[in-house]
Amino acid sequence: MREKTATHLGRRTVLAASAGALAMPFVARAQANPLKIGIQSIFSGPIALLGASSKGAIQPEIDRINATGGLLGRQIQPIYRDSKGQPQEAARVARELVNTDGCEILLNAEASSGAYAVQEVVRDLGVLCIHTTAEASSLTADPKLRAPTAFRSARQGVHDAIVGGSYSAKVAVAKKLTKWATCSPDYSFGRDTTAQFGEFLKHFAPDIEITSQSWPKMGQPDFTEVVTKILQAKPQALYSAMFAGDLSAFINQGNAYALFSAMQVFVPAMGDLPVLTTIKNMPAGIHSAARYLPTFPDTPVNAAWYEANRKFNNNDYPTNWSWECSTAARFMEAAVKKAGSTNGKAAAAALEGLTIDSPFSTTGKITMRAEDHTMIGYAIGWGTTVPKEPFVTGIEPGDWGQITELETEWKKKNGYI
Amino acid sequence: MIDLDALLECVTTTSCLVTQTTSGLIVGMLLFLVAAGLTLIFGVLKIVNFAHGTFYMLGAYLAYTVFAITGSYILSVLAGGLGMAFFGIVFERFLIRRVYGANVLMQLLICYATVLICDDLVKIIWGPDFYAMGMPPEFQVPPLFIAGGVVPPFYLVLISVALVIGGGLAMVLGLTKIGKIIRAAAHNPDMVSALGINTTLLYSLVFAVGGMLAGIAGGLAAPVRSLTPGMGFSILIESFIVTVIGGMGSIGGALIAAVMLGLIRSFGTIGFPLFTEGLMYIAMIIILVLKPSGLFGKEIV
Amino acid sequence: MGRMHIWRDIAIGCLVVAVLAAIPSLLPSKAFQDFVIRCASMALFATSLNMLVGYTGLSSFGHGMFFGLGTYSFALLMQKTGMSLLTAFLLTLLITAMTATAVGAICIRLRLIYFAFVTLAMQMLLHSVIISWVGLTGGDQGLQGGIPRRTFAGVDLSNQYNLYVFSAVMLVVGLLLMRHIVNTTFGTSLRMIRDNETRAAFLGIIVWRVKLTVFVLSAVFASVGGMVMSLFVSGAYPELINWPISGDAIFAIVMGGVGSFLGPTVGTMILLLLNDVVTRQTEYYGLALGLIILGFALGLRRGVLDFITERLGGRPAGGIS
Repeated sequence: MREKTATHLGRRTVLAASAGALAMPFVARAQANPLKIGIQSIFSGPIALLGASSKGAIQPEIDRINATGGLLGRQIQPIYRDSKGQPQEAARVARELVNTDGCEILLNAEASSGAYAVQEVVRDLGVLCIHTTAEASSLTADPKLRAPTAFRSARQGVHDAIVGGSYSAKVAVAKKLTKWATCSPDYSFGRDTTAQFGEFLKHFAPDIEITSQSWPKMGQPDFTEVVTKILQAKPQALYSAMFAGDLSAFINQGNAYALFSAMQVFVPAMGDLPVLTTIKNMPAGIHSAARYLPTFPDTPVNAAWYEANRKFNNNDYPTNWSWECSTAARFMEAAVKKAGSTNGKAAAAALEGLTIDSPFSTTGKITMRAEDHTMIGYAIGWGTTVPKEPFVTGIEPGDWGQITELETEWKKKNGYI
Repeated sequence: MIDLDALLECVTTTSCLVTQTTSGLIVGMLLFLVAAGLTLIFGVLKIVNFAHGTFYMLGAYLAYTVFAITGSYILSVLAGGLGMAFFGIVFERFLIRRVYGANVLMQLLICYATVLICDDLVKIIWGPDFYAMGMPPEFQVPPLFIAGGVVPPFYLVLISVALVIGGGLAMVLGLTKIGKIIRAAAHNPDMVSALGINTTLLYSLVFAVGGMLAGIAGGLAAPVRSLTPGMGFSILIESFIVTVIGGMGSIGGALIAAVMLGLIRSFGTIGFPLFTEGLMYIAMIIILVLKPSGLFGKEIV
Repeated sequence: MGRMHIWRDIAIGCLVVAVLAAIPSLLPSKAFQDFVIRCASMALFATSLNMLVGYTGLSSFGHGMFFGLGTYSFALLMQKTGMSLLTAFLLTLLITAMTATAVGAICIRLRLIYFAFVTLAMQMLLHSVIISWVGLTGGDQGLQGGIPRRTFAGVDLSNQYNLYVFSAVMLVVGLLLMRHIVNTTFGTSLRMIRDNETRAAFLGIIVWRVKLTVFVLSAVFASVGGMVMSLFVSGAYPELINWPISGDAIFAIVMGGVGSFLGPTVGTMILLLLNDVVTRQTEYYGLALGLIILGFALGLRRGVLDFITERLGGRPAGGIS
């Protein structure tokens, strides 16, 4: 390139120069080697909400980082890709994001089956990867599956099972509920969570008996035959691991049969705003985990994040996936800053054991546990539903001391330690 | 995986028998409405409408929106039906008509493209969230108890509406002039057009009726089912099974097969909780092998 | 078909492999290699389906069952037993052939759309079994833990470039074999059955035997495609045996052209390219892809390669009457 000489300043040149000056910061940054981050999720089909709400939580974090000078002085450029919820497509997309698009970090907002597939790719490529929405416990708990640069900033199934089991057992003992039924989607995450919940439920209240189990298919349009099967079994309590659209349909179809007044119902995924706001005639008194609620933890930072997230997403409600993704972005930011590099090994070393401030914790802090790359200390608790805001009340927070203790026992029993 | 004791216990207790039978009927009757359109279109036009699930989905979304505006369930179901009748005409006129006589795989390709487009349009218009219409206020009543079994009044209404529509369709096809023309067209389209009957119009009409049936089913189901982009997919598979078992082109066959499938579901979930879907495919294979044209289909030479 | 044709085809095949093997030294793109591997797998699968659809007039909607059977059987043999890759490969061919014989014996009794539906039902049944049999197959999570001992004749196939060349060789050998099959007198019988089954029977062709043979042969080639895919994803997933995978093959042959031998291969490349390019450009790729497909289907009304052949004045070799 020849150097330009600016001796004759015509009007056009001045205009162009001033326009250039205005655009200067933007252009300069855009040219200075942006930091590309690959974000893959499900953007199509019945679970497209996963992708939409993940993007709607990660993008504001990236905007914030970019507005304050970027990460390591580089502007972040996110690249979003749809895996359509297929594991082999998820693996391909992950490889392509790194190999072709030059992404240095992956935020993987896949469902569990996609996350397992991406985990194998990450093992090969050695980039930093944070699973933002996969909750299946073995992803990080099983040392055979764990990958050195892969982390999970999402709930872990076994944590929810411990807190759910402990809360539900308390209710069961108080109300003398011994005969239980379960109804969960027939896929591995549904089966695992249900089994773990049952295990901890019996741990806390040994005389409980599970007498009837139903396994509807995911995305099945009608659950009526399952509703009536449960009614036939006449249990005193029901546990269901259904979520999102399926859960909404199940509640509506159960309502027609007055299912929810016939027994105590425990549904961990109920306490998520899209479900709570979509169901028109929500039965009161359903026991549920607080997946994400602006009132749990009931702090100004959480309320502020909630408002900001809704504003960013055309007033749509944030989901459980939203806070998990937001946290992932913050973990990524903190780890890269601490390591001073996006190198997989260095950033992973920095992320191990890292504690960040977070609106999504009752103590205000969330930690990425070093030994198994999964986060702890996040807000976890159970309460009961009411038909209007705040939708879930009387939330009892889980005790992280008890959670980690029982989790360790569970790991030993499964041969993970 | 297999719990035959529970199944035996259920079929020998009246309460269980009544409840599971009605729940099988409700699943079956809505399926029948979708499958009836599918089988009608195939019977007359020899077109396998792989986009039929999309009609059901769009009908449900349309009904949802009309219900949100007017609060009237009847209006919303009508809107779903009429909207899809119109969509059926457009679909036939601009897409399917161009591949009459082309091989079935080309039709499959056109329908697949339509499904892709419509799923994304739904995502653009209504968003990726799931929706629930919610039970209309007039049906927010406690369930009835019949012979110890539980039956929600709303479902009784659904079953009756589906039966009336099915009966009406059968009467129109069997007794009226237009019905005779349609049946004749199914047999021998050349003869019908030689008689000076406008087959172009007739084909549009058939697609309108088929679309309307799926749209009505979508609207009827909207209060109790979830609306998501891509929700037509599982309905499509099940209606295919129904059409094939009942006999491609036979409305009566579709009714019997749909109820049969509903009952396989409702009793299968008790006896074979983890293999209910497999049962349906086995049923389909057995029927096809024993009687390829289905229970009530005419042999195609 | 003369001997010359065979040698010419083999020469072209060798040239293609040589060119593909040389490309990475000029264009070091891993994504390109991935693309070729996937293409090889799907093109083998689609071409095998076209032996049924284009050459015999049997529209199968469930051909993906053999593709999926290939991935699962191969991955399981490698994981659960200590056998070598070659043994597992050959054994998978045998398992597929036996399964296809049983399934085919039931299915080929049916004709037209009923054949299509019964094959679809068979595939869905196999899919339900794989989903339900969690202990063996891992259910919906797929078979995890990777495929061990990925070496073939001393070549390490877990190395991407090696797998890339291996896939290209598989594709070329598979295509050559299939081309040879449709060019023999057996291939002529297939076309006679397609054009007029009754007349073919009068001329002394034992229709059911020919149909069953081609059904089994095409299943075997589909399973080779499945094995390449299994090596690529290092495992097996239920999506690889679900019915959309049959749809993909059908779309590939319809887009590429049922009447041309290479139509399915061209169609596979078009579909994969569209998928990869369009998903990168827009979140609403369903809309974009749908419109493009409609444009193709309504504009050409036949596959791309058929369209070109007809324009050039040639007569397609296969095709549905």
